[in-house]
Amino acid sequence: MNTLSYDIAVIGGGPAGLAAAVKARELGMDRILLVERDYELGGILQQCIHDGFGLLRFKKQLSGCQYAQKFIDLVAEGGIDVLCDTMVLELTDDRRIYAVSAQEGLLEIRAQAVILAMGCRERTRPQVSIMGSRPAGVLTAGSVQRYINMEGYLPGKKAVILGSGDIGLIMARRMTLEGIEVEGVYEVMSSLGGLRRNKVQCLDDYGIPLHLSTTVTKIHGNKRVEAVTVALVGSDGKPVRETERVIPCDLLVLSVGLIPENELSRKAGVQLHPVTRGPVVDDTMMTSVPGVFAAGNVVAVFDLVDYVSRSGEIAAQGAADFIRRQSAQENMVDTVAGSNVGFVLPQRVSADCRGKEINLYLRVRKPMKDVRADIMCNGKILKSTHYGVANPPEMIALRLVPDGPLDGPLTVDVR
Amino acid sequence: MTANKQEILAAFSEGLKKFDLDSSAVSARIEDDGILTLEGSTKTWQTAVDIGHMAAKLPGVHNVVSDLTAPGAVPLKRKDSAPYRAMGVVDKADVVIIGGGVTGCAIARQLTQYRVNILLLEKEEDLCEGSSKANNGMVHSGYDSKPASLKARLNVRGNAQYTKWAQQLGFQFNRTGSFVCGFGEEDRATIESLYDNGVTNGVPGIEIISGDRARELEPGLSDGVQFALWTPSAGYAEPYEVTLALAENAVDNGARFRLGCEVVDILTEDGRVRGVVTKQGVILCDCVINAAGLYADEIAEMSGDRFYSIHPRRGALVIFDKENKGKIHTFSGVAPNNYTKGGGPEETPEGTLLWGPSALEVPDKEDRDVDREDVEFILEKGMHLTKGIDPRSVITYFSGNRAATYSEDFVIQNSRKIRGFIHVAGIQSPGFASAPAIAELVESLYLGQNPNAPINTAFNPIRKPEPAFRDCTQEERDRLIAENPAYGRVICRCETVTEAEILRAVHGKIPARTMDAVKRRTRAGMGRCQSGFCGSRVLELLAREWKLDPSEVTLKGKGSEILVRPSRNTGRNAE
Repeated sequence: MNTLSYDIAVIGGGPAGLAAAVKARELGMDRILLVERDYELGGILQQCIHDGFGLLRFKKQLSGCQYAQKFIDLVAEGGIDVLCDTMVLELTDDRRIYAVSAQEGLLEIRAQAVILAMGCRERTRPQVSIMGSRPAGVLTAGSVQRYINMEGYLPGKKAVILGSGDIGLIMARRMTLEGIEVEGVYEVMSSLGGLRRNKVQCLDDYGIPLHLSTTVTKIHGNKRVEAVTVALVGSDGKPVRETERVIPCDLLVLSVGLIPENELSRKAGVQLHPVTRGPVVDDTMMTSVPGVFAAGNVVAVFDLVDYVSRSGEIAAQGAADFIRRQSAQENMVDTVAGSNVGFVLPQRVSADCRGKEINLYLRVRKPMKDVRADIMCNGKILKSTHYGVANPPEMIALRLVPDGPLDGPLTVDVR
Repeated sequence: MTANKQEILAAFSEGLKKFDLDSSAVSARIEDDGILTLEGSTKTWQTAVDIGHMAAKLPGVHNVVSDLTAPGAVPLKRKDSAPYRAMGVVDKADVVIIGGGVTGCAIARQLTQYRVNILLLEKEEDLCEGSSKANNGMVHSGYDSKPASLKARLNVRGNAQYTKWAQQLGFQFNRTGSFVCGFGEEDRATIESLYDNGVTNGVPGIEIISGDRARELEPGLSDGVQFALWTPSAGYAEPYEVTLALAENAVDNGARFRLGCEVVDILTEDGRVRGVVTKQGVILCDCVINAAGLYADEIAEMSGDRFYSIHPRRGALVIFDKENKGKIHTFSGVAPNNYTKGGGPEETPEGTLLWGPSALEVPDKEDRDVDREDVEFILEKGMHLTKGIDPRSVITYFSGNRAATYSEDFVIQNSRKIRGFIHVAGIQSPGFASAPAIAELVESLYLGQNPNAPINTAFNPIRKPEPAFRDCTQEERDRLIAENPAYGRVICRCETVTEAEILRAVHGKIPARTMDAVKRRTRAGMGRCQSGFCGSRVLELLAREWKLDPSEVTLKGKGSEILVRPSRNTGRNAE
């Protein structure tokens, strides 16, 4: 087994990992390693050939590939070490990484700081309790995207999409353009799961119907999907049997949510948050394990890649500071998800953050109109921001520059 | 005998009265050998099954052939074999085994101890595609079967042989023991009668123990358990691993396998087996062993000796995320109240928490649905028996069908009508546990017909398992990668399966041609993401190795292609 030694090792070469590596170089970090399990860098952006990426960062409509390439070029320019086609098998709580690749064999990588950027995975059929048989033709939206955009093959002729998350909406349009008939998009919740702009551009423009409060209850067909049963969902969240109808199709596409991929984090003893299912982090993106940072969708599922990149940069800054200081931050206060808030990222911030910018990311629990997002500390409103609408799928990003030390938990209310 | 036949029919008519039927809806006839044949129709399939069970229990009835129909039932149909006969003779063997489940593969291996030409035929494109892949892998101790039944005898004997099998064939086997749990005095009589059964059947080490003692043995057991039947000899293996290990060892010892080779007729002449007609052509042989599982009655019909019917009893299984590893070790069930006790929580040798199966009579042998009721039943039962397990960590569920006869016992015997035809039917729970003893019994039947079968002096019972990367130490991993760099490329992340292992499966003794075949041999796709990550990569490897277009790669045989056609001008296809 070869042993390598780095200042910063980044696990995952998607948008979070790329941004973290590039930023770490900018900050003067010398020995940086980026480890990626796929054949090339870019993560899920590789298969995102649609546009809409980078509006905040580059003020331009880029495709996912273009967005990723900007960072991949910077990685190359910065002379950052990259290991692709390399799988990390284990991370220890003293920042040793065990990885393997066909070229390098087994590797032990020791790093002064580790940045977790493994992203997320898609929820699958059993996690949304679809009954029936197990034929070919049941795929997650991300798999369909990979098959069509990267492998160049179509996985069906007539599709039903379950879930109105962003990938499902994007794939409705993509499949339509490729000549797959999209019968409709079904959403178990009573409101859209993805961004409104995606509904307009991907469903409305193509006349694809969206059926809210409706779910797929059963898959038919032994070898290949022959049909699915859909049903309206009652107020108890359960399908109403009397409303069942059978839709012939040969492809069921699932866009039913994402789960941060934290198997490595868990093994390393990183504390995970029950709502985000990602590591509990502070305002430097450091996890509960000193020197182990996390960025992007491994922390919580973001909806804009710009936020993901930003979190990578914050983690890189945190990692650089950690290495120079060789100690964790002291004097932390918790952030608290207040009324109608599902979660707030980060979960801890430094109390001595006078004059320092704190980025808070949060999601509301239920859709609301004409609301204020208030950041409060000890009963005092530090910042109040007005929003015309607040929807659970659309993450709220808040910036706070406190003018004094925080003397208690930071609560965010949306009301 | 005539009077007896009339008595049986009278008893049957009497038995029918408790069913709500028109008088002419169901008719019965009885043969001299005690085979009762039922015809007619019922309003529900469950009623048809209940009538079959009632009939099979009548004194003097040896077994039941039921052609009763009900809504949803798929009547047994003879297949048109003419086009396949026309293909001519494509192969010859001494023994043809029909069915590549655990039973057929065990028999194939057993008979390779003799220098005879053995050919196993499987209609699907891989072995282990029927009941053998969709059971919970339990090696039952044998307290459950009716004393003096074939099941009881073969189960206890088969169970005892599993340790040797596991050593010889190199599969994982954990003798975990099993519980039947009593939650109150109302369960005591059932558990005591199971205990008596077990003692009669010769189950080693069987005892009734206190709830506290049970929790010492299995700390994950519910605090509500007051006492339990404990049989230390019960255990678990992975059923697909055992089936493939048997097949590979059979190949090593000279047996041949034909996959995708469905039998459509049996050729007989002067009351003797002459061969089989398959979708690949005619295969001549002197002996046919019917190990066709759910379809054993259809094969029996082709031979002209059908004296049982197979009614599929569906069982669903639920698999949990590996994060639950170690929470439960031994099997636990509740006091039963049905034909099958169904299953309970257990941990497979791979460390996967598995609950189930449920039990539901279904009219269609191809019905492998999982319904909400199945999942609710399994989770409710499991939560009742255990503690500390989050039902939200379920990663998948699936179902299979038990190949049950109405007598609910195994049927393993020479045909009384066709020389050279051996029935191995009704192999349902505890068929997996009994497999070693079933193979022995079939061996003795075969030797009865062929007493001079020459011994295969080169027979080697040992199969050396190939290393699984995930189970290797770092040093072993280093060595494997040094020998073959493909061990360094992880394809399935959840189960840590490498490209080398997938290539090994594709080019193995029973080559894997489908995604499911790769999964059964390597675990690629069995983990928490359910092939979301590795699916496209396994597909790519299968296409590359078999020189197929990606759109020809299937999940589980023809008709289950993953990809339909190339997209316009995008992707690698355009290069």
